[in-house]
Amino acid sequence: MEESVSAVMRGLGQNAAGRSDDLYREQLHERRGKADRMFAVLMVAQWAFAVALALLVSPYAWAGKTREFHPHLLAAIFMGGGIALFPVLLATFRPGQLLTRHVIVASQMLWSALFIHLTGGRIETHFHVFGSLAFVAFYFDWGVIATATVVVAADHLIRGLLYPESVYGIPNPEWWRFLEHAGWVVFEDVVLVWFCLSGLKEIKAVAARQAQVEALKESGDAKTAALEMVLREIQPSLAGGAS
Amino acid sequence: MTRQRWMLGVGALVWIVAIGCGFAYLFNYSVEAGTPAAAPERWPAASRVQAPHGAYTLVMTIHPQCPCSRASVTELNHLMVLLRHERVKGYVLVVKPADVPDEWIRTESVRAAGRIPGVDVIVDADGVESARLGAATSGQVVLYDAGGRLRFAGGITPERGHLGDSAGRQRILSLVRTGTADGTDSLVFGCDLGATICPPRPHPGNSGL
Repeated sequence: MEESVSAVMRGLGQNAAGRSDDLYREQLHERRGKADRMFAVLMVAQWAFAVALALLVSPYAWAGKTREFHPHLLAAIFMGGGIALFPVLLATFRPGQLLTRHVIVASQMLWSALFIHLTGGRIETHFHVFGSLAFVAFYFDWGVIATATVVVAADHLIRGLLYPESVYGIPNPEWWRFLEHAGWVVFEDVVLVWFCLSGLKEIKAVAARQAQVEALKESGDAKTAALEMVLREIQPSLAGGAS
Repeated sequence: MTRQRWMLGVGALVWIVAIGCGFAYLFNYSVEAGTPAAAPERWPAASRVQAPHGAYTLVMTIHPQCPCSRASVTELNHLMVLLRHERVKGYVLVVKPADVPDEWIRTESVRAAGRIPGVDVIVDADGVESARLGAATSGQVVLYDAGGRLRFAGGITPERGHLGDSAGRQRILSLVRTGTADGTDSLVFGCDLGATICPPRPHPGNSGL
C-alpha cells in the first residue's frame, strides 16, 4: 500500500518537469504565432503606404513634356507586393514556424531598403531599420535578429562594392566606414539579444510555475485518491474490529 | 512532410531571386546617369542671367515636374549654406515649355528653390537659357568663376533622386574655397529636359564676360 502511494507521488514529480517543457514550448509557439500575425498585418500596411508614398513623391518620370509611370511607383506596387506576399502566406498558413519568422524578418529589412529608395535616401527613413530590428525582438529568437542583421549588412556590402556613393555619398570612402554603419546595428543587436534571452528565461519560469500549480492540484487529487485507497483497504478490518 | 519542406525551400529561393532582381532593377535605375551638359567654356554673353561681378556664378537647371530634382534642389540648399561665406551667386533655371500653363511649373521643387538664400529662380521659357548653358538633364549644375570661365559642370546628388554627399558637391566646395579640385565634372541624375523644349545647343566657345 505504501509503495503504491509513493509510486503515484514520484510519477507526479516527473510529470511536472515534462509538463513544464511542454508548456514552455506551447507558450513560445503561441507568442511567435501572434508575432507572425502582427507582421502579416504590418506587411500589408507597409505595402499600402509604399504605393501611397510613390504616388505622392514620384508618380511620373519625365522627358520634356512626355511622362511615363515612374519606376518607383512600379517598384512600390510590384516589388512591394512581392516582398509582402510570401511572408503573409507563411504567417497565415504556417504561423509560429522557424522558416516563417526568418522570412518575415528578412522581408521587414527589405522593406527598409525599399522605403529608403522611395524617399530618396532621406535620413529619417533610415530609422525604419532600427525600428524594425526592435520589432523583431518580439520573436524572442536571437537567430532572427542575426538574419535581420545579415540582410542589412548584405545590402550595404553589395552596394558599397558596386557603387559606394549610394551608401556613403562619396566614391572613395575610408576603408573603415562600413564598420561605423555596422557598429550601430551591432549596438542595438546586443541589447535585443539580451532581451530575447531574458524573455525566454521568464517564459520558462512562468511555464515551470504553471506546471507546479498543475502538479499540486493533481497531487491534491492524488492524495484524496490515495486516502480513499487506504480507507478501502482498512475498512474491512475496521468493520471486523467494531463487530 | 519532406515534399512540403522541399516546396517551401524552392518557394523561398524563387522569392529571394525575384526580390533580388527587383532591387537590381531599382539600383540600376538609380545610378543611371543622364546626359551630361555641353556647357560653354566661357559664360555666354547673350545670356539674360546676370553673372555677378567678382563672384562665382552657380546655375542649376531643373525640369519642374522631375521628382529626382527635389533631391537636387535640397542638395543645392545644403551647398549654398556651406558656401554662405563665399562670393557665390546662385540661380535655378526652371524650364517651361511655351505651350503649358503656369501651374505646370508650380511644384514643390520650384517652391523649395525659391526658399534657398542667395538663389534666384528664373522661369526659362522654352529652355533658351538652359540650352545656352548646354543643359540636357534636370539637376545639371554649372559653375563659372569671376572671370567667366567654366570650372564645373555636373550633378550634386549621389544617385537619382537621392540625398547625401556627392562628388559634385565636394568638387564645387573645393573649387570655390581653394581654386582646385580632383575633378571638374560629375554624373547628373534626373529627367531628360527633352529636345522638344530646348532649342539646339549653341556652339561652345561663346565669348565670356
